[in-house]
Amino acid sequence: MAVSPKATDFFAASEAGAADHELQRKLESASARHLEHFAEVRDEFTPYENERATARAIKENALGRLDELIVELTEKLTDHDCKVFFAASADEAREYIVKLATQCGARHVVKGKSMTTEEIALNPALERAGIEVLETDLGEYIVQLRGEPPSHIITPAIHLSKEDIGELFHEKFRVSYTPEPEKLTAEARTRLRESFLRADFGITGVNFAIAETGTLVVVENEGNGRMSSTIPEVFVALMGIEKVIPKLSDLPHFLEILARTATGQKLTTYTNFLRGPRADGDLDGPREMHVVIIDNGRSAMLSDPVLRESLMCIRCGACLNVCPVYRHIGGHAYRSPYPGPIGSIVSPSLIGSSTAYLPFASTLCGACKDVCPVHIDIPRILLHLRWKETSSPAPPPWPHDAHRARAGARMFARLARYPRIIRFLGHIAAVLVKPFAENGWIGSMPPPFANWTKVRDFPAPRPGHPRPANSAGKSIRNGRS
Amino acid sequence: MNEVQLFSTCLAEEFFPEVERASATILQRLGLKVRLLKSAFCCGQVAFNEGFRSEALDLARRFMAACDPAMPIIVPSGSCTSMIRIFYADLPFEDAELTAKAAAIRPQVYELSQFLVRVMKVKRLGARFEGAVAYHPSCHLMRELNAREEPMALLSGVEGIRLVEVRDREECCGFGGLFSVKFPHISGAMLSDKIDRIRQSGAQVVVSNDCGCLMQIGGGLSRAGADIKVRHLAEILAAR
Amino acid sequence: MADLSDIVARVKDALGSSARGDLAEIDANGAPLHALSANDRAELATQFGHELKSVAGDYLGICRADEAAARIAALAAETGVRTAAIGEGVAIDTGAIATALETEGISVLRTAPGVDADNRTQTLRRVADADMGIAEADCAIASTGTLAVVSTVSRPSSLTLLPPSSVILVNVDRLVRDIAAAVATLGANEIANHRVTLITGPSRTADIEKRIVLGVHGPKSLHVLIVWPRDE
Repeated sequence: MAVSPKATDFFAASEAGAADHELQRKLESASARHLEHFAEVRDEFTPYENERATARAIKENALGRLDELIVELTEKLTDHDCKVFFAASADEAREYIVKLATQCGARHVVKGKSMTTEEIALNPALERAGIEVLETDLGEYIVQLRGEPPSHIITPAIHLSKEDIGELFHEKFRVSYTPEPEKLTAEARTRLRESFLRADFGITGVNFAIAETGTLVVVENEGNGRMSSTIPEVFVALMGIEKVIPKLSDLPHFLEILARTATGQKLTTYTNFLRGPRADGDLDGPREMHVVIIDNGRSAMLSDPVLRESLMCIRCGACLNVCPVYRHIGGHAYRSPYPGPIGSIVSPSLIGSSTAYLPFASTLCGACKDVCPVHIDIPRILLHLRWKETSSPAPPPWPHDAHRARAGARMFARLARYPRIIRFLGHIAAVLVKPFAENGWIGSMPPPFANWTKVRDFPAPRPGHPRPANSAGKSIRNGRS
Repeated sequence: MNEVQLFSTCLAEEFFPEVERASATILQRLGLKVRLLKSAFCCGQVAFNEGFRSEALDLARRFMAACDPAMPIIVPSGSCTSMIRIFYADLPFEDAELTAKAAAIRPQVYELSQFLVRVMKVKRLGARFEGAVAYHPSCHLMRELNAREEPMALLSGVEGIRLVEVRDREECCGFGGLFSVKFPHISGAMLSDKIDRIRQSGAQVVVSNDCGCLMQIGGGLSRAGADIKVRHLAEILAAR
Repeated sequence: MADLSDIVARVKDALGSSARGDLAEIDANGAPLHALSANDRAELATQFGHELKSVAGDYLGICRADEAAARIAALAAETGVRTAAIGEGVAIDTGAIATALETEGISVLRTAPGVDADNRTQTLRRVADADMGIAEADCAIASTGTLAVVSTVSRPSSLTLLPPSSVILVNVDRLVRDIAAAVATLGANEIANHRVTLITGPSRTADIEKRIVLGVHGPKSLHVLIVWPRDE
């Protein structure tokens, strides 16, 4: 899923998303179902708040001595006969994995869900090398069949209805149409089971890497992560440097909150502890295990005291589900494998300048911050990134009208230093637009307010002309507004 | 305490001028002397939120020069209160004196409803208002200032009022400052859902503590031709 | 190409001089493991059963060690199982179970230690072709209805992954209260040296309209029997 958007793609894509009421209906109902499940498991688990605080403290601590932890983890993994590779960039990680697959003579790659492989655009590179890549998470499998990237980090096919998927299977597999999730899942099971058994190369992401024991923890519900790390002869785990936690005893705190916020479960169906290739005589596990640890912008995030907090993310996806912007435009509009609020703060570092608008595409409503299991202050980071983008030597090129709006705001801010002048201008504006007002509202405004009146009326300014003091109660039917 | 400062905010001055008088009236009825902060116009949020930090710094300096850090500063806006009370801490003031002043001012800044309930400990203000009212909680008020109960407590104390519930009322109306004009399509889609839910609620009046939300929701209601008005909380609490 | 020292140097630079002494040492140790009484264990078993059912698992209840073989053979017969795969037990003798299954006319695949590279693929296929996989868990978590299985040469984790029906036995002594206790019980050593899987219910997905469907890649059904070895 190569993400190579044009600079202003976000505007067109979000416009399409915002106009797609069917998409909004699907996102709304899926999010509502998720939030219900989450509320249930949260309310009956009284230590939830404590666990959030502990998990955050562990991450804070881990990031603060990440260099030591990476060394410890690497030593342990190497002791377990893993081959550890460090990638400074997405290119390095991708090239290493493609080269490895080629050298092993891999023909059939099975993948568990991994957003990091989306980040490095691994699939197209493997395919170019003539290797078949199969996404095996059901949602990922579905979007791969459609030739699309995932639109949600936990529920990749959240933008599709069961009918959409029924039609997809009917078209691709020539099976009779059914919208029943049970039958569609059974169809995918049969097809993917065969693929697993013949796969020679497996790839998954990593949720947590425990430095103390040299263990990679992969959580999942379907069993595809288990399959991908158990059956193929060669297995690659790809992880960002920020996934390391110090001790085994830290892990339960994350497990207690991750599934609750991600899927409304107490614990995911499978929590896999992987340590290395199989021992002699073992049936399960790969002959070779490679661990690719990738920086790709993360150390730069670490060096920024505000942005550092975003590396605490455990990728639960809850912020997407509560985000009104995400729910109105869908994940694809973000043009990044990481959509939604968390995507808006990590994409500029991990994906690049094509996502520079994302921090601006938020009302700063803060619903994400409230739901975040590790209390990441996403709005504050968004503000920080807006400032960084604005003051960067190459600020993002804005579409004309958005640029004009920003210039207008800047002009206003400069004038507002002189209250008398700005008040005088305010009075003049009120006089000028008064003839166009009806019941106190104006239907069409010139730039920079033209975008405002595209979708709603503009309030007629009336500085110094308050409604009579006691009118609030009496005049609701005949006053303005 | 017998004197407070009142900063009515730029949006209120320009578009909802009655907010200042209503807020002053409420405070005066509680026996407080009210000093209007007129030598500042804007807290700087619009610049800060767009990443124009030097402009934001200028406005913050101007605002701080206007106020007395020894006296509470009442702001009839959750958003502007958050800017001063919380985000002024993120502004890189160059000199130590300004940093110290910001630190002194920040805890003195109160959003109107929080000041009434938490500091003045009042819930009933002797207000009277007839009609079906829906309360729209502004995002900053709820999630930055953590004021979820205060406005409702005050509204419940208004005689004659009939409070109606809007489905998913805690969902953002889509204003977001300049977001509303940079991304009108997203802002409009969010607003359209909000308007539908307000219409379903049977409200005659939508009340909020933020002029930004009032502009957005009021503009949406006007565009939809709905006979539903928007009012600032202060207006309702001052009505008799 | 980057190596460990490059990455560590980058991270070190990023962290700068921020004082590490300030980092709070997190006391994240699990609850101390108390010796549990028979009553405690019965209570945990009840809670485990309740949680297992809530994740669509089939709780078979508690039985004595000498009854386990008959219970499992009966379940296999009832559900039309023709082939079953079984590994060595942890505390329970699974040989008796294999014999009971064979008595029912079910063909049994015993996963023998020492699979070599040549027959690995075939063995995996044979496990995958079995109707039922039978294994003993090393630990069970009451608060989540979870089973922890440690994969060893004689007890491969494929047994609980590939066959469509999964039967897991667990000794009542191995029930613990929560995830932290399970991790502490298994211990850093065990986890550093083996593949371990925590299993909570049958394989499931919610990828289609957030509706829950069982049996995506792993087992479609999970049956759990708690074995009470002593007369208490």
